[in-house]
Amino acid sequence: MKFVDEFRDAELGRVLAGEILGAVEPGRHYKVMEVCGGHTHSIYKYGIDDLLPANVELVHGPGCPVCVIPMGRVDDGMAIARHEGVIFTCFGDMLRVPGSHGTLLDAKAQGADVRMVYSPLDALRIARENPDRDVVFFAIGFETTAPSTALTLKRAKADGVSNFWCMCSHVTIVPPLRALLESPDLRLDGFIGPGHVSTVVGARPFQFIPADYGKPVVISGFEPLDILQSIRMILRQLAEGRCEVENQYTRVVPYEGNLRALQVMAEVFELRPHFEWRGLGFISQSALKLTPAYADLDAELRYDVPGVRVADPKACQCGEVLKGVIKPWECKVFGTACTPEHAIGTCMVSPEGACAAYYNYGRFAREREVV
Amino acid sequence: VAVRVVEVGDGGLALCEDEDGRLEHVEVTLVEPVAPGDALLAHAGVALTRLEEGAA
Repeated sequence: MKFVDEFRDAELGRVLAGEILGAVEPGRHYKVMEVCGGHTHSIYKYGIDDLLPANVELVHGPGCPVCVIPMGRVDDGMAIARHEGVIFTCFGDMLRVPGSHGTLLDAKAQGADVRMVYSPLDALRIARENPDRDVVFFAIGFETTAPSTALTLKRAKADGVSNFWCMCSHVTIVPPLRALLESPDLRLDGFIGPGHVSTVVGARPFQFIPADYGKPVVISGFEPLDILQSIRMILRQLAEGRCEVENQYTRVVPYEGNLRALQVMAEVFELRPHFEWRGLGFISQSALKLTPAYADLDAELRYDVPGVRVADPKACQCGEVLKGVIKPWECKVFGTACTPEHAIGTCMVSPEGACAAYYNYGRFAREREVV
Repeated sequence: VAVRVVEVGDGGLALCEDEDGRLEHVEVTLVEPVAPGDALLAHAGVALTRLEEGAA
């Protein structure tokens, strides 16, 4: 089964690049933000930016789940992981995100039982296999991952698993986008909308962008032709004076999203009043916590966590990268003190991070070559 | 990850095969009913949507 070959056709890519060139107004500079880290990764893996006219600039957004977790939250996780008898589980990327005193991988090396999982269901399996241990899952991610955590917690509750807890750090995509649109730092012309988040939330939550801010949004797939087609759709909206949410990724994203997933999330989660985002600061109602009905599975109620705000290292400019204010290579430590092997900032840790995408695909050049 | 249903199991789980031929159990509660041969998009062990094969 392949869903990719037909979306990597080089000839069609050149046709789309030509259409993009034909759609731009000479002398006008276009800034288009790709919201999702998966898009950033594809853009640099396939060299999509090299196919674009010089006046179409791609700006990288805050949609990398690992990148937006602040240092204080990592410290909270490490505090739980160091409790006697705890098995602390998380996705692989989170293991290498630095807190103020090292990473979860460091905690593991120092004796904490920290384990990588591919899904929260794996963490629940570990809990079933270790009934005499406390198993905690560090839940991160946007609306794409939150349904998996919600279903896992429902299973744990229904099956009476009494040694499983969740440290919920799920975030939602709309509040940071609104924060970016309110920011005077950044003047954007349009958005490449997040494809996989939209499989859950649908297209409707993005309507505020054209309605309140007059910017087009095109929900996009992740293959090279998907992204090129989405850029062309955005430029066409701008050329025609239109401004709406369009769905390029119709083969995967239904307009209304997945209503069952939204219902399960509503049963298990409620909005936090505030949550700190790396680089963006505190944003109201931008993250999820467990509802009172699931309080008995809430790791933050079972364990004392520091809950302290920790400033990023001064050298690290992940905040500016996440807001699209600077390009990764403009960070003082990019590719020198900060590399994927020894990351200072989250944007270099996660493969979906903009810095890792630039570094891994050799984008050290200060100016891109223009085709 | 794009997967194809191989066998529908009990309790909302289905044995699925990914593009590289790996078999794994995927939670399919959010897209039920599913049948062998159905193509799904799974994330973190949970199927989130059906894939329309051949649609561009």
